[in-house]
Amino acid sequence: MKRFTVTVYRHNPAKDQRSRYQTYTVAVEEGARVLHLLHAIHAEDPSLSYRYCCGTGQCGSCAVRVNGEPVLACMTEARDGMVIDPLNLPVKKDLLVDMEPVLGKIASIVPKDVECIPSRDEVEALKPLRSCIECLACVSVCPAMEVAEFAGPLSMKQEMRLAIDPRDSCDRITDAIRDGLFMCTTCQYCWKVCPKKIEIPGKAIEKLRRMANQRGLTLPRHAEVATLISETGRSVPKNQPTFLDQVPEVIEPAGPVRGTVGFFVGCMYNNRLPQTALDAMEVLSRNGIRVIIPHEQVCCGSPLIRTGQTDILPDLMEKNIAAFTCRGIDTVVTMCAGCGSTLKNDYRTPFVVKDVNEILTEIGIEEPARLPIRVAYHDPCHLLRGQGIQKQPRELIARVAELVELPVKCCGAGGGTRSGQPEVSKALAGKRAEEIEKAGVEWVISSCPFCEFHIGEHSKRPVKNITTLLLEGYRRKDQDRGGEAGESAAA
Amino acid sequence: MRADDTVECHVLVIGSGGAGVRAAIEAEKHGDTVLVSKSLAGKGGCTPMAEGGYNAALREGDSCVLHKEDTIRGGAYLNNPELVDILVNEAPERFLELVRWGAVFDRTEEGEWAQRSFGGQRIPRTCYAGDRTGHEMMMTLLERLRASNVSVLQEVSIIDLLKREGRVVGAVALDRNGELTAFQADATILATGGAARIYDISTNSATGTGDGFAMGYRAGAELIDMEMVQFHPTGAVYPYDARGRLVTEAVRGEGGILLNSKGERFMERYDPERMELSTRDVVARSIAREIAEGRATPHYGVYLDVTHLSPEKIEEKLPMMLEQFLAFGTDIRKEKMEVAPSAHHFMGGLRITPRCETTVPGLYACGEAAGGVHGANRLGGNSLAETQVFGRRAGDTAGRAPSRGTRIDTRQLENYRRKLDEFHSGGVNPVTVVKKLQEAMWNGAGITRNVHDLERTLVDVEKLAKKKLLAQTPMNRAECFTVQNMCLVASLVIRSALLRGESRGAHVRTDIFQSWDAANSPYGHTYISIHHAGIEERKVPA
Ligand SMILES: Cc1cc2nc3c(=O)[nH]c(=O)nc-3n(C[C@H](O)[C@H](O)[C@H](O)COP(=O)(O)OP(=O)(O)OC[C@H]3O[C@@H](n4cnc5c(N)ncnc54)[C@H](O)[C@@H]3O)c2cc1C
Ligand code: SF4
Ligand code: SF4
Ligand code: FES
Repeated sequence: MKRFTVTVYRHNPAKDQRSRYQTYTVAVEEGARVLHLLHAIHAEDPSLSYRYCCGTGQCGSCAVRVNGEPVLACMTEARDGMVIDPLNLPVKKDLLVDMEPVLGKIASIVPKDVECIPSRDEVEALKPLRSCIECLACVSVCPAMEVAEFAGPLSMKQEMRLAIDPRDSCDRITDAIRDGLFMCTTCQYCWKVCPKKIEIPGKAIEKLRRMANQRGLTLPRHAEVATLISETGRSVPKNQPTFLDQVPEVIEPAGPVRGTVGFFVGCMYNNRLPQTALDAMEVLSRNGIRVIIPHEQVCCGSPLIRTGQTDILPDLMEKNIAAFTCRGIDTVVTMCAGCGSTLKNDYRTPFVVKDVNEILTEIGIEEPARLPIRVAYHDPCHLLRGQGIQKQPRELIARVAELVELPVKCCGAGGGTRSGQPEVSKALAGKRAEEIEKAGVEWVISSCPFCEFHIGEHSKRPVKNITTLLLEGYRRKDQDRGGEAGESAAA
Repeated sequence: MRADDTVECHVLVIGSGGAGVRAAIEAEKHGDTVLVSKSLAGKGGCTPMAEGGYNAALREGDSCVLHKEDTIRGGAYLNNPELVDILVNEAPERFLELVRWGAVFDRTEEGEWAQRSFGGQRIPRTCYAGDRTGHEMMMTLLERLRASNVSVLQEVSIIDLLKREGRVVGAVALDRNGELTAFQADATILATGGAARIYDISTNSATGTGDGFAMGYRAGAELIDMEMVQFHPTGAVYPYDARGRLVTEAVRGEGGILLNSKGERFMERYDPERMELSTRDVVARSIAREIAEGRATPHYGVYLDVTHLSPEKIEEKLPMMLEQFLAFGTDIRKEKMEVAPSAHHFMGGLRITPRCETTVPGLYACGEAAGGVHGANRLGGNSLAETQVFGRRAGDTAGRAPSRGTRIDTRQLENYRRKLDEFHSGGVNPVTVVKKLQEAMWNGAGITRNVHDLERTLVDVEKLAKKKLLAQTPMNRAECFTVQNMCLVASLVIRSALLRGESRGAHVRTDIFQSWDAANSPYGHTYISIHHAGIEERKVPA
C-alpha cells in the first residue's frame, strides 16, 4: 500500500455558494488508478460525488481533470500530490458534470430506404471514428465552443462518421456547416486529450471542409486565399519588400560554423513580418549556424489543408521538398509554428524538420544579457500540440527576462477562422488579451507569426517573437560591453 | 407527470444496456415508453464493455441447427431448448438490423462478415467490431434511441417494483439527488443485467449488482439457475485495484496460448482437443488448478501469450487489449499477459417464457436479467445476441400489453420514505459491507463449491444483509439499496447452489460424487422465489 495526499474539487451548487478544495490522504495499492483513489476517498467521505461504470476505459463516464488536463480516471495512474478537478463543463456536484445536454445532441444516422452494406474499405474508414466513448474530454477543452455557437469536436466527429457512411441518407456537409464547421481553429487540443486519440481536427474537420470544398461550399474568404496561393505561391499579398527579397541564399555565421541548416520562412514571416525573420537570422548566425535559404520556396500549404482546399497541395509540397533536397540539406528549420507543424505532420520529407526553438536549445546558445522586464509566453497551438514543443521556448525566454505563465489557450488565429469567422477569432483574442492584462507583464512573447500578429492586434502589450527577444538580449549585452570597454578606455 | 410526481407510461424499461435499449425501441412502436437507467444511458452495464463478439450463423457451412447444438452442449444440457431455438433463429436477423441502423462490424476482404472462433464453437460464428463489439452495438442503439420518442431518464435508480392486485404496475426510484420518484406502467421490463459484482474479482461494470434479480424476487417472480455463475478464465491480475478486468476470449480466438510459470502449455492436460478454446468453465477451472497447485506467475495468475502473433495482427484485432495493457505497463506485442479467473456472467435469472413474460403478470425480463438461454455455461458471443433477440421480444410483448392505467398505490411510497429515513440513522458504511460480501462469496461460493462452505457463507451473507446501513447524504441512499440487493442476490446464489446436488457446467460441487455426465443428468433448473424453491427433475434421455 502507498499513501497519497491529493486535492479534490468540491462543490454542491444546490447548497454551497462557492467551490472549495479539499485535501485527502488515503492508502491505495501499487498501480492504483485515479478512480481507485477516488474510491478510497469515498470510503472515508461518502459525500464525494464522481462518476464511473466500467473501470476499463470503455464507457466514458469517468473523465476528470488531473493537474488541469482531462484524463480518464480509471486509466490514469494515481500519484501523490495530484489535483483533481471536474471537466470544464457545468458541474452538478463535485466531479460530476452535466453530460446529458451534449450527449443528447449527437446526430443519429437516418438510414436509406434501400439496403446497403458498407464495404471493407468503408468499414476501415469508419472504425477510427467509432471508437469514441463519448467521454467529453474533447468538448471540455474546445476554445471555439467557449465563444461561439459551435457544436464542437464530438459533433464534428459524428457528422464525419455519417458523411462517409454509405447507409446514411442526409446531407451532413450542410449540417456540419450549420453547426460551425468553419469555427474550429484547428488548435488540436481536442484530440490531444482524447483517450482514444481520435484525430478530430485532421480526420474529421479538415476532411469535412474538403468535402464542403468539393461541393463549392468553401467560405469566400478562404477561396480568395487559395486563389492567391495558386497565383503567387504565397497566402499573403506582398505590400513591402519581403524577407526573401532582403537575404542572400546563404548567410554565413560571424564566427566558426557549428552547423548548417536550410530555412523555411513561410508566408507570414516572408510577406508580413520580414523583420522578425531577419532577427531570427541574426540570432542563428551569432550562434554559429550557417543558413541556406532557397529562394524558390513557396507556401507550405497549411492554409489550404486547414480549410479543405487541397487541390494544388501536391504541387506546393513537391516544390518545397525539391528546393531543399537539391541543395543537399538534411535539416530544415522553421520558425512559423504552422509551417513547422505542416512540414512535420502533413509532409513526408527526406530531411529532418526542426523548429527554431529546438535548434537553438539543442546547440546551446551564447548567453544573452538579462533585460529587467516581465514577459508572458503564449504557447502557439501548432507548436505546443502540433509539434509537442513546450519546454524549449520557456528555457530560452528565461535567459533574457522574467517569465510569467499564462493559462494555455488558443488565441483564435488559426484554422482559417481569422479570415473566415472573424467574430470567433476576435472573441478568443479578446479573452487572451484579458489574461495578458491580468498577468501584469510588459511584453508578450510567442513563436508563431499568426499568434504574434493576431494577439498584437488585440492586446495593449507589445507581442514579440522569441528570437527578437534573444536579439534584444544580445544587443543589450553588446551595449553593456561597449559601455564597459568605453569606460575602461577612458580610465 | 401527476401532481404527486408519478411518471405515467405504457411501458417502463429498466436498464440501458443492449437489452433495455433494444426493448425500448420496440416497445415505443406501441405506446409511451420510458427508459430508466441507473447510469447515463448506454454507459452502465456490461454491454459497452463486451469485446469479443456476437454469435450468428451467417456463413456457408453454418446453420441454426449447429448453433443450437453448440449452445446446448456448451450449456451442459441445462438450457431451455425453446429459448435456444429463438436465440439461434433470430440472432442473424437482429444482427442485420443493427447493421441497417449503422453498426460498423468488421468485413473480410472477400466481402463477408468477419467471424472469429469463440470457445465451444465448431464453426467461426462470432461477428465482431475489433474488440469493442458491445460498444459498437451500444453506440448504434443509442443513436437509434435518441432518434426515437422514448423518454430517457438517466442516473435514476429503480429501487423496487410496485404491485397492485398481483400485477406489477410500476416502480419506485431514487433520482440523482436521492429523492423518491414513482413510475406507473402497464408493462415493466427488467433489463438490469447481471450481478457478478457480488464477487471480489469480477469483470463487470459497477452496475452489475443484480438489482433486477432482487427486485423481481421481492415482487414474487421466480428465478432459475441462480447458482450458475460463469467465471471467465482470463481476468487481469494487475494492478490490484483493477483486477478482474476482462481479457477477452478473442485473445485466445486469435491464437493466444496459456502457459504456467514452468512454461507448460497446460491445457494439453485438461482438454487436449480444444486446448485454449475449450469452454469457459473448463479453462477457468484448469487455470484455477494451476494456480492452486503452485504453478502461478508472480501476480498469482498464469501467462496468456500472443507474442508469437505479428504486431500488426495484434494492433488490428486486439486494439483495446493492447491499449489497456499498455496503460498498465505491459506491451502485449512483446510481453506475456498474466491472467486468472474472474466472475463474469449470470446464466440464471428471472424465469421467462419465449415472449419474455416472467411468472408475475405485468413484469417482463430480457438480457442477462433473464435465465434459461445459456443453461449451465454460456458460450462467448451468445449474450450480445441474446440482448437483441430477447430485448426485441420483451419490447414487443410489453408494448402489446393492454392499456390498463392501473394506478400505483401511493400509500406504498410511505414505506419507502420510512426506509430512506432509516438509512440516515444507520451506522454501517455500505462500502465495508460490500467488501466483506464480495470476499465471502469469492471464498465460499466461487469457482468450486461444497456444502460446508456454502452453508457457512449463507450465514455470513445473511448477517451482512441485516446490517443497518448508513447513507451519509441523500445521494448515498441508492447505494444502500444496491448493497442490500447484492446481499439478497448472494443468498439466492448460495441457496440455489445448495439445491443443485451435482456438478454441472459452471457449478462445481467438490463434495458430491456423481455417476452421470451432464447429458444424462436427472436434474433440470433450480428455481427460487419468495413462495418456494427446489430443483426440477427431468427425464433422462434414453
Ligand atoms: C467485460 C465483459 C465482456 C463481455 N464480452 C461479451 C462478448 O464478447 N460477447 C457476448 O455475447 N457477451 C459478452 N459479455 C456479456 C454481455 O456483455 C452481457 O451479458 C450483456 O451485455 C448484458 O446486457 P444487458 O442489456 O442484459 O445488461 P447490461 O448491459 O449489463 O445493462 C444493465 C443496465 O441496467 C441498468 N441498471 C441496473 N440496475 C438498475 C436499477 N436498479 N435501476 C435502473 N437501471 C439499472 C444499468 O445501468 C445498465 O444500463 C461480456 C460481459 C463483460 C462484463
Ligand atoms: S481543434 Fe481546437 S477548436 Fe477545433 S474542435 Fe478541436 S479543440 Fe475545438
Ligand atoms: S472524441 Fe475522444 S475525447 Fe471526445 S468524446 Fe470521443 S473519446 Fe472522448
Ligand atoms: S469508468 Fe468507464 S471509462 Fe472510466
